[in-house]
Amino acid sequence: MAIDEKTLDAILNEYPAKVKRNRKKHIIIRDSAVEHQEIEANTRTIPGIMTNRGCAFAGCKGVVLGPLKDMVHIVHGPIGCAYYSWLTRRNKAKSEDPTQNFLHYCVSTDMQESDIVFGGEKKLARMIDEVVEILGPKAITISATCPVGLIGDDIQQVAKEARKKHGVNITAYNCEGYKGVSQSAGHHIANNGLMENIIGEGDMEDPPIRYTINILGEYNIGGDSWEVERVLKEIGYQVQAVMTGNGSYEDLKNAHVAQLNLVQCHRSINYIASMLETKYGTPWLKVNFIGIKATIESLRNMALYFGDEELINKTEEVITRELEEIEPLLEPYRKICAGKTTFCFVGGSRGHHYQGLYGELGISTVLAGYEFAHRDDYEGREVIPNIKPDADSKNIPDLHVSPDESRYRLKIPQERMEELKTKIPLSYYSGMNVTMAEGSIIVDDLNHYETEEFIKILKPDIFSSGIKDKYIPHKMGIPCKQLHNYDYSGPYAGFRGSVNFARDICMSFTTPAWNFMVPPWKDKPLLEGTVAQCNGAACTVNQAR
Amino acid sequence: MNNEHYRNVNENPCHMCMPMGGILPFKGIEKSMVIIHGSQGCSTYMRRHIAEHFNEPIDVASSSLNEKGTIYGGEKNLKQGLDNLIKLYNPGLIGVLTTCLAETIGEDIDRIATSYLAERGLENYPLITVPTPGYGGSHSEGYWLAVRRIIAALARKTASHSKINIIVPNISPADIREIKRILRLMQVDYTLCPDFSDTLDRPYARPYKKIPDGGTRIDDIKNIAGAPATIQMGLTADDAFSPGKYLENEFGVPLYNIPIPMGIEGTDKFIGVLKELTGNPFPAELEMERGRLLDCMIDSHKYNFQGRSVIFGEPELVYAIARTCMENGIFPVLAATGSKAAKLHGLLLPLLASSPEQAEILLEADFTGIRERCRELKPNIAIGHSDGKFLTEREGIPLVRMGFPIHDQVGGQRLLSVGYAGTTMFLDRVTNTLLEQKHKNYRASMYEKYYARPAI
Repeated sequence: MAIDEKTLDAILNEYPAKVKRNRKKHIIIRDSAVEHQEIEANTRTIPGIMTNRGCAFAGCKGVVLGPLKDMVHIVHGPIGCAYYSWLTRRNKAKSEDPTQNFLHYCVSTDMQESDIVFGGEKKLARMIDEVVEILGPKAITISATCPVGLIGDDIQQVAKEARKKHGVNITAYNCEGYKGVSQSAGHHIANNGLMENIIGEGDMEDPPIRYTINILGEYNIGGDSWEVERVLKEIGYQVQAVMTGNGSYEDLKNAHVAQLNLVQCHRSINYIASMLETKYGTPWLKVNFIGIKATIESLRNMALYFGDEELINKTEEVITRELEEIEPLLEPYRKICAGKTTFCFVGGSRGHHYQGLYGELGISTVLAGYEFAHRDDYEGREVIPNIKPDADSKNIPDLHVSPDESRYRLKIPQERMEELKTKIPLSYYSGMNVTMAEGSIIVDDLNHYETEEFIKILKPDIFSSGIKDKYIPHKMGIPCKQLHNYDYSGPYAGFRGSVNFARDICMSFTTPAWNFMVPPWKDKPLLEGTVAQCNGAACTVNQAR
Repeated sequence: MNNEHYRNVNENPCHMCMPMGGILPFKGIEKSMVIIHGSQGCSTYMRRHIAEHFNEPIDVASSSLNEKGTIYGGEKNLKQGLDNLIKLYNPGLIGVLTTCLAETIGEDIDRIATSYLAERGLENYPLITVPTPGYGGSHSEGYWLAVRRIIAALARKTASHSKINIIVPNISPADIREIKRILRLMQVDYTLCPDFSDTLDRPYARPYKKIPDGGTRIDDIKNIAGAPATIQMGLTADDAFSPGKYLENEFGVPLYNIPIPMGIEGTDKFIGVLKELTGNPFPAELEMERGRLLDCMIDSHKYNFQGRSVIFGEPELVYAIARTCMENGIFPVLAATGSKAAKLHGLLLPLLASSPEQAEILLEADFTGIRERCRELKPNIAIGHSDGKFLTEREGIPLVRMGFPIHDQVGGQRLLSVGYAGTTMFLDRVTNTLLEQKHKNYRASMYEKYYARPAI
C-alpha cells in the first residue's frame, strides 16, 4: 500500500498540534510533477520524540576523529562519553607499525565532581604528559564533552602549551554535546580542526604519481575502504589519505598533494572537500562505491577526470573482470530478493547510497531518510544559497581558507573543468530526492513512533537502520539490516562487497525462524473429524480435551 | 590495595556513567518510561549500549538541550519533552534523569517537575526525578539511587501485609526470573523491585507494544512500606543510595541485606532468610537442585582448583563472584571495579583473608591497570563483562562473560548464574573454560615440564 497525504495526516494527527506542524515539514511524498520538493532538515530535534540522532561529540570524536589510528584521542570529561564512543563504530584499521595503532584505547580524564567545581585544565595537562610518556603517539586530539565548555576549561590553550612542550601535534575540539542540533555539528567542528592543524603540515610538495587521490568520507566500516582501495590500486591510483577510515596522521598531513578528492559521505566531510579546493585547487568528485552501477559510474567518472586513454582502458578492463567474477554469484540472490521492498534510514549518506544496491538486487526502497543530514543532501547542492542560517548553525563557525601561496595549483585547465562539470558530479551532489521513486516517502530524522506507523502501513520486507531501531522491526516480524555497523559483517562496498551484502540480506529473508512464528496448533486443527451434536457427558469430555 | 587515582588518565574504563545505571531500574517498573534531561547524545549513546546488551528496543527520551538551553535553562525543553512522551507512549510513570549538562548549569529538576505537574493538572502523576550527573558516580551508584528514588517517591505509610520486599541489583533478566521461581517454590508473597525480567527480555509476540508488558507493579511499590521485611541483594550499596536502608529508616521495615544468591553459601543465606521470615519448609525441588550443585562442585573441584581468577565489574557482582570462586577453589588473585566502592573493599578483605592465594583489590580501576596487575599476578581465568576481552586478546587470559555490558556476544540477558541451579550453570561455564585452556596446551606443557628440561 502506498501512502497519500491523507494517510500521512492520520499518522501525524497523533502528535500534539505544534509537533505535527513541525514533523510535516520533515516528511515528503515523492512527486516528480512538483518542480522542487523542499524538506526541512538540520533543525532542532523535538524533545521527547525518540529520535535516533546523537550529539556534536559523537560526530566529532566518534565519527570523524575516532578512526584516525596513529593518534590518541583523549576525551576530556566524565567517563561516560569516552566509554560510549570506545570502538563502537566498527571502523577497522591496520597499521604497519602496531605500536602506532591506538584504536583500541579509550582514554579519558574521567572528571569527578571536584574537577567540575575547580576546573579540569590541570588534570588534562598532566594527562597529556602521561599519554605522551606511556603511549608516545605522533599526534593527539582532545575532544570536549558537555561540562567542559560550561565550566570554561580552555582546552585550546592546554593543547597549545602541550604542543609546545612535547613537540607533538596536539589539537583540541570544542565539540560539547549541546552544540548544533545533531552529530552533524561535530563533523563540521572536526573538519575545521583537521584542516586548520593537520592537513598540509606534511612536507611533501608533489604527488608520488599522477593518479594520486584522497578518499573523503569513507570510514572503513566492516572493511569497506579496503575493498574500494583494492580496485583503485589495480586501476593505477594511489590513495594518499582516507578520511578517516583506516586513516592516519602521517597520511593526512600530506593530503594536499592529491590530484583529486573523492567524496563518499557528502554530509560529514564536504567541508574539507570544499576547503581543499579553495586552498590547494584540488577538485572533488562525488562518488558512491555502494552498489555495482554506482561503483562503475564512479570509476568511469574518475577516469574521465584524468582523461588519459590508458587509464580509461584499464578502468574498463578491471570493471569487466570484476563483473565477470561477481555476476554469477549474485544470480541466486537476485531470485530471492526479486519484488521485495525496504526502508533505508541511515545517518547522512547511506540512506541514499544503499538504495542503488538494493535496486540491483530487485528490492525497491519505499521509504528513505537521514538522521542528521542537511537540505543539500536531500535536494542537491543548488539549494545551499537558499538555506537560511539559524542560531544553531551559526554557533558552528565556518573556517575560511584562502589559496595557499606556494601549494595552490590548478589541477586541470579551467575550460576543461567547466566541460567536465557538465558530465560528472565535480564539486556537486544531486542529493537523494531526485533518485527516489514516485510515491515513495522521504523522512528526515525518523523517530520510533513514525517507524512503527510507517512499517504498519508499508509493510516492508526488510528494514535498514541502526541498533536503536533494529529491534522494533524484529519484534514486528521484519528482518533488519544494520547499515551503521553492518551487524558485524561487511565489507559491502565495491564489487565483492555487493555479493556480501546480497548474501546477508538473503540470509535475513530465508532464516527458518520466520516459519515458526505461528505454533502448529494455531495454524491447523490438531484434531480432525466431524463436529457432533453436543449431548451431555460426551460434550464435557470433548471440551476437556 | 590502591584506591586512589594514581594516574590522571583513565585508560580503557571499567565503568560507565551514573545516568546509564539509572535507566535500568525504570525499565523494570510497569508501564514506565525515562527521559534524560541533557544533550540528546547521552540518551542515544546509552540506548545504543543497553540495546546491544539486551537485544531489545530501548526507548529512552531526551530533552534534547542545545546551546540556547545551556544559557537560558532547559525547562521549556523538558516540559515539551514530557508532553510528547506522554502523548505518544502514555506511560504510567516517568523517570527524569539528569546529566553532566543539566547538573553543571544547575537545573532545579524537582522544581521543574512540580511545576510541570501543576501546570498540566497531573498532581498525582508519578514523575520521579533522579539527579545523575555523569561525574557523580559510576553506573552502579546510578542504579541504586534510581531504585531508591522510585521507592521514595511512591512508598507511603500503609497497612501491614505479607508481601516481602525483594530488591535486586543489576543482574540478568534470567537471574531475576530464577529468583522469582525460588520465591514461588518457597511459597513466598513478594514485591520484587526492579523487575526487568520480562521487559528487557521479552518474548517474540505480536502485536508490537511500545512499552513491554511486565515490571514491578506501581501499586505494589506504593504499598512497599507495609512489608514485613526487605531482602536487599545490595551489600555494596552506599547507605545514601541504599533503597533498603531508606525503607528501614523511613518506615521501620526490617532490612536483610544479603549478597546476590550465588554460590551454595549465598543461596543458602537467601533461603535461610526466607525460611526465617515465612517459616515455610525447604521444598524438595530445591533440595534436589542443591544436591546437584554439590555434586557438580565435587566432580569439578580437581579442575577448579587450578583456576586463579581475576574478577571485575560492578561491586555487587564482583563480591558474589568472588564468594563463589572462593567456595570452589578458583581463588581470586585480583578483584577490581571501576567504581569507588568503599563497601566492597570492606567486604572483600575478610573474604579474601582466608584464601591461600595472595589477592589484590583494585578500586576505581581501569583495564590498563587491571592488565598491568594481571601480568604480575598471572591469573588464568577472567570473569566479568565484555570489556575484559582485552585480557584475552593481549594477555591470553580466557574470559567468562558475566554482568553488564556484554556487547561482543549475544545472550547477556539469558545468562543464568543465581540460585543452586544457576550457580551450577555458572560453575560449568567457568570449569569448561579452564578445561578448554588446559586441553589447548596440555601435552606441550607436560612435555615441557617433565621431559624437555633435565631433571634436577
